[in-house]
Amino acid sequence: METAKLEHYLAYKPQPFTRAERDRVTILFGGLHWRVERLIQGAMGNLGYRSQVLPTATREDLLTGRELADIGQCCPTSFTTGNLANVLRRETQQRGAKEVASNYVYVTAGACGACRFGQYHQSYELALRNAGLDSFRMFLLAQNGLEQGAAEGGGLELNLPFTLGAIWAVIVGDLIQDVEYQIRPYEVNPGDTERVAKESIEYLHGIFDRSPVSGMAKWSAPLWYVGTRRFVDALREVRRRFDQIEVDRLRVKPVVKITGEFYLQTVEGEPNYNIHRWLESEGAEVYPAAITIWLDYLMRLAGQDYADHIGIDRHARLKAGAIKAGQGLLRWTYNRMRKALADLPHEMPDQREIRTLAAPYYHSRLNGGEGDMLIGKALWAYHHKKAHMTCELSPYSCMPNTMSVGAMAAVTGKYPDMLYAPLEIKGDAEVHALSRCQMILTEAKRRAQREFEDTLKVNGITLERARELLESFPEMKRATYRVPRLGAAGTAANLVHHLAARARS
Amino acid sequence: MWSTHQFWVGLFGALGVEGRKLVFSSDTSEEQSRQFAKGRGTVDCCYPVKCMSGHYGELVARDKHRKIDVLFSPMIASLPSFLKGHVVDNLACPRVMAGPENIKSGFLKENDAFKERSIRYVTPLVSLADAPLVPKQLHPHLKEIFPELGLEETKEAVRQGFEALEAFNTQARRRGRAVLEHCAAEDRPCLLVIARPYHMDPGIGHEIEVDLQAFGYPVLWAQYFPTDPDLLEWIFAADLKAGRIRSTFDVADVWPSSYSANTNEILWGAKVAARVPWVAGVIRLASYECGMDQPTYTPVQQIVERSGTLFFSFQELDSTKPAGSVKIRVETIAHYLQKYAAEIIAKKKAVAAPGCPFGTSPTENSAAAEAASAAAPA
Repeated sequence: METAKLEHYLAYKPQPFTRAERDRVTILFGGLHWRVERLIQGAMGNLGYRSQVLPTATREDLLTGRELADIGQCCPTSFTTGNLANVLRRETQQRGAKEVASNYVYVTAGACGACRFGQYHQSYELALRNAGLDSFRMFLLAQNGLEQGAAEGGGLELNLPFTLGAIWAVIVGDLIQDVEYQIRPYEVNPGDTERVAKESIEYLHGIFDRSPVSGMAKWSAPLWYVGTRRFVDALREVRRRFDQIEVDRLRVKPVVKITGEFYLQTVEGEPNYNIHRWLESEGAEVYPAAITIWLDYLMRLAGQDYADHIGIDRHARLKAGAIKAGQGLLRWTYNRMRKALADLPHEMPDQREIRTLAAPYYHSRLNGGEGDMLIGKALWAYHHKKAHMTCELSPYSCMPNTMSVGAMAAVTGKYPDMLYAPLEIKGDAEVHALSRCQMILTEAKRRAQREFEDTLKVNGITLERARELLESFPEMKRATYRVPRLGAAGTAANLVHHLAARARS
Repeated sequence: MWSTHQFWVGLFGALGVEGRKLVFSSDTSEEQSRQFAKGRGTVDCCYPVKCMSGHYGELVARDKHRKIDVLFSPMIASLPSFLKGHVVDNLACPRVMAGPENIKSGFLKENDAFKERSIRYVTPLVSLADAPLVPKQLHPHLKEIFPELGLEETKEAVRQGFEALEAFNTQARRRGRAVLEHCAAEDRPCLLVIARPYHMDPGIGHEIEVDLQAFGYPVLWAQYFPTDPDLLEWIFAADLKAGRIRSTFDVADVWPSSYSANTNEILWGAKVAARVPWVAGVIRLASYECGMDQPTYTPVQQIVERSGTLFFSFQELDSTKPAGSVKIRVETIAHYLQKYAAEIIAKKKAVAAPGCPFGTSPTENSAAAEAASAAAPA
């Protein structure tokens, strides 16, 4: 008699991506901001990988994501899932599904734990199945491992040269973004900053693409990255290019710090209603969220975990020490490159201070999302006058961030003058989110103006006198001139303090 | 708390707290929220977390004769799942673990509601999946309640807490096995509930499984499904033989990102339901805006339905019980079970491995399947 059989459901398992395929297969990736993506592409090219950056997700991608995956996703899942599906659909129309499956693979970060971010693969998998692309290959890389070995088949080696290339690309990309956002609102000739930023990123792409890492042994790469002056020198050249831009920093603008969920605070486009550009168009100076700080936070979380296990796991102390050293190295590298840009980019906040500030409101071991860092950064910006206002971007139904945002109720209860705008981003409710932001931005503008006027008064000068002083210190009109922070949150107010002090000296 | 309450009862018992001095808030209800949570909410999120404001409020508002001294609300970062060691991690849902911090802010934003009532608010973070770490995590917080408490005493109390939890789980699984054995002996269908532990709360799960039980169908919960090796090795025999799984608790074949303890148990429950003949139907419960359940909707349904087992999902559960629609759906489920359960059992028995610990043989299985196929409507 024939034995009855039942084919049980099995999860998606990609076919191997072999070493031999590396020369012809294109690796798709995305989800960061364009500067970092382009530099990572350079670092990957240096190691012999063909890569293509996915376009920034659009509203159309959001709808596709909602259509193809399970109901109730957070909007970053819908945006990124739909983005991948639409790119693959377009490629399939041109080349056919078989060729797309054969010539492309998708690599993305995952695995941060219990939050949905660690389960994105399920949405991608479902979308691929529903789009008829079951055989397409997709690989997840953990965001917390330096040396993860080779993906199935050996075509993609997530080793130290690969990971360090990506981290250095993140640092450099963050610094350029920071400089760009500090210059653009004050540029005298509109468009100058945009042009120089693009040219600089292309130049830096070449620096990564042609670095000597490709020929090095795996364990030589860390030493090279730490010791080389290649990136510092390149950033000095970038500084020279930015220096050609003339700025007027006596324009009064509120500084708005962006925080929130990783994807929404990082991406620049429709997924967050183009909030960076919108804020600038509304007269603000944007203080963007650096990915490097996220890396520092991840290291802090790992270090905390090891510290908790001291006395339980005999290697815990050593591991905690190694993480601390890693954090130190990251900070040293960031500051070294920051110096090459005249110290204009913002400093990295100290994770210990962030943790201490947040401690009364949110436990430092609660991971997922930005955890206590979301609260700590808002308090850090408030206490140190880093910004007039914090704009916090949370996806609709984001599990961890809603918890942190809820805990902020106690913070704003204690500091009622803190300007904090938590925006729930759905992807298709732009007017609602932006009008909410505008209400708080209006108050931030008022405070920036009042701060500026008070500064003029304290220093006993008028705006006209400040302008005269600025003419007598032409170096201050250069884009990379660093106005020292002299107790005000606003750039214009700090410049007035600085001009008055220079005039007195 | 629903899956770990016995740990806390055991722990406080070992620390000398009499049972009558240990007060749990009552079951969740809309009334509780209306009466005690007004103005305490800080964000819109899933009901299982949102309803905590009502629980806090109820405990804080107790009158002076029944006043509490300590509000103990642990932040449970990881859970002591029975799948531990076979999955990537055993984390709690990020919202559930952070819930106390979020809810607390609603009681602090205007004034300190705990201080006003002389209540000590104690909220330790605890990784129950990492047993050696637990005393170290709990000790400084328990010292706020028991100033003389030493670390060694804490270790002993934690040991007794885990022992109490294990004893409760073992007893619940033993009863689950008895139900299953009874179903096997009589070839009767039973239902498996696949949900998160808090759906056992009548105000969150809305007692949907109780309504079904009233139709005469025994109900098992995936969390308390028997885990005896003889039974599981029979259930997963084909998967083990084919190398699809490394152990009977492995879920990597259907869910590679096995970080969340409760999600892992849900997926494991779906696999069990797909393979055990007498589980004729699965009841899936999920709360409104549950981000943990959301990615599992399709895999769980696929796992269950591909085996021919009936699958009924109650999603988006919120504070209000939609009594009318639940009644209609429960009647529909009962109708389907009545109509198809025998056929489902027979077909699943036909593909089950030999050596059932309940004594049904493959020959009997095949014969039953043939009989069922012949009887099945076209």
